[in-house]
Amino acid sequence: MADRKKEKLQESGRSAICARPSTFAQYKTLLMKDLKQEFRTKDMIVSMGIYAVLVIVVFGVALSFAKPGSEFLEVSGGLLWSLVVFTSLLGLNRSFSHEMENGCMEGMLLAPLDRGAVFLAKMTSNVVFLLIVEVVAVPLYWLFFSSYATPADTAWMMIIPLLVGTVGIAGIGTLLSTITTRTRGKDVLLALLFVPVIFPLLYACVSATTAVLIGGDVVADTLMVSLVLAVGYDVIMILASWILYEFVVSA
Amino acid sequence: MGLFSEKQELETKTAVSSDIAVSVTGLTKTFSTRKAVDKVSFELPKGAFLSVFGPNGAGKTTLLRMLSTLTRPTDGSIFIDGIDALEEPDIAREHMGLISHNAMLYPDLTAEENLLFYARLYGVKDPEKRVIELLDAVGLKHRRLDLVRTFSRGMTQRVSIARALINDPSVVLLDEPYSGLDPHAIEVFDQLIESVREDRTFIMVSHDLEKGLSMCTHALVLAKGRVVTFAERGDLDADEFRELYRSTVGMGVA
Repeated sequence: MADRKKEKLQESGRSAICARPSTFAQYKTLLMKDLKQEFRTKDMIVSMGIYAVLVIVVFGVALSFAKPGSEFLEVSGGLLWSLVVFTSLLGLNRSFSHEMENGCMEGMLLAPLDRGAVFLAKMTSNVVFLLIVEVVAVPLYWLFFSSYATPADTAWMMIIPLLVGTVGIAGIGTLLSTITTRTRGKDVLLALLFVPVIFPLLYACVSATTAVLIGGDVVADTLMVSLVLAVGYDVIMILASWILYEFVVSA
Repeated sequence: MGLFSEKQELETKTAVSSDIAVSVTGLTKTFSTRKAVDKVSFELPKGAFLSVFGPNGAGKTTLLRMLSTLTRPTDGSIFIDGIDALEEPDIAREHMGLISHNAMLYPDLTAEENLLFYARLYGVKDPEKRVIELLDAVGLKHRRLDLVRTFSRGMTQRVSIARALINDPSVVLLDEPYSGLDPHAIEVFDQLIESVREDRTFIMVSHDLEKGLSMCTHALVLAKGRVVTFAERGDLDADEFRELYRSTVGMGVA
């Protein structure tokens, strides 16, 4: 039995030849692993979804004495983004939990792997999970608060700041959660680092979302400027995170 | 004349290094002001089995992490199969495998999915075939579609051996691989390691002096980050070594 195993291991061990895969192939492998694992366990999506619903309920209680009126549209962009930010924080805190279990992160880093691919794959999976939660949470938010005010016809355009903001949140959040995931107070530390760092993005996305909800002249004046600021932030921060990732995971 | 000498020296070095699997010189790791590993140097020929002994905090795991390129040393050099692991870590990684007390397997993926994931990261040609071969060799082909979460510690460690061998490494690092294994699992683990020893170089960190001595061709004792002794097994008197280990490290030996 032992001899048979020995023969097989020696045969298989010496016949395989590795050819370094491209960064894209490694990115695809990492991303598929993340998606397969999350869709199987649904750990992150379910906890973010439940949390988002609870935040909406709390908003409902907080606004229960507010009078319906167009003023609601001026704060609804901010409320929507606080929902997105807090829900994202919960998810980002868990995004490396599978890697930390059983030392999988180290197993991954032992491979001749472009560390940037790890970042991009994790960021992409975070974008996917956040978007899935937003697809449920945003309509639910409007369902809850539709009686307060009717948004402008341009309201559908909030998809754009939501997409741009989600990509930025996932990008910078992935870098920061890599830094904090091995620390003792990771939940608090991530929030402490994350909120100040995403402040410019958050500001731009809130103003863009509010503009499309209010409609009229504000859209033309504010939307483009806010979106340019948000896209610029995304590009700079994601590039910086990608470049810094090797240093962060090796530290 | 000067150039000729340099060339000659290089040729001599290359000739020597072709038989050397692992060469470590002046390896040092400092955390803040504390030296976890302090000027460790040794050379291992291909096919050797080095057991590294030492008490908790001696720097064994830090040494292994530096060899595996997971931790960057503060000073010193590491050559794996003649490759500078600090200058070319990705190439060095292609030559190495690590078996740790952490299985490095995703509990919510099946044994097959885990191994396929690692095979694809390493760029193994025909990864499906390689994974099946390895799972068959470690006696878990019939459980390949089961989640790793459902495996016993011994079975998980067997999948971990398959994971570490997925890239056909010439140097295998073992970090306390027996932690949490029952006697039967230890026996199976030993058989598997024995079956893949040929042509590979092993470095094992262990607290178990008897187990380490029974497997090694070379032994190294670390204390406070420094090499207390490094010798070939043939040159060692086991009783003297036990005594040296006990007196140097201040630990009883079972």
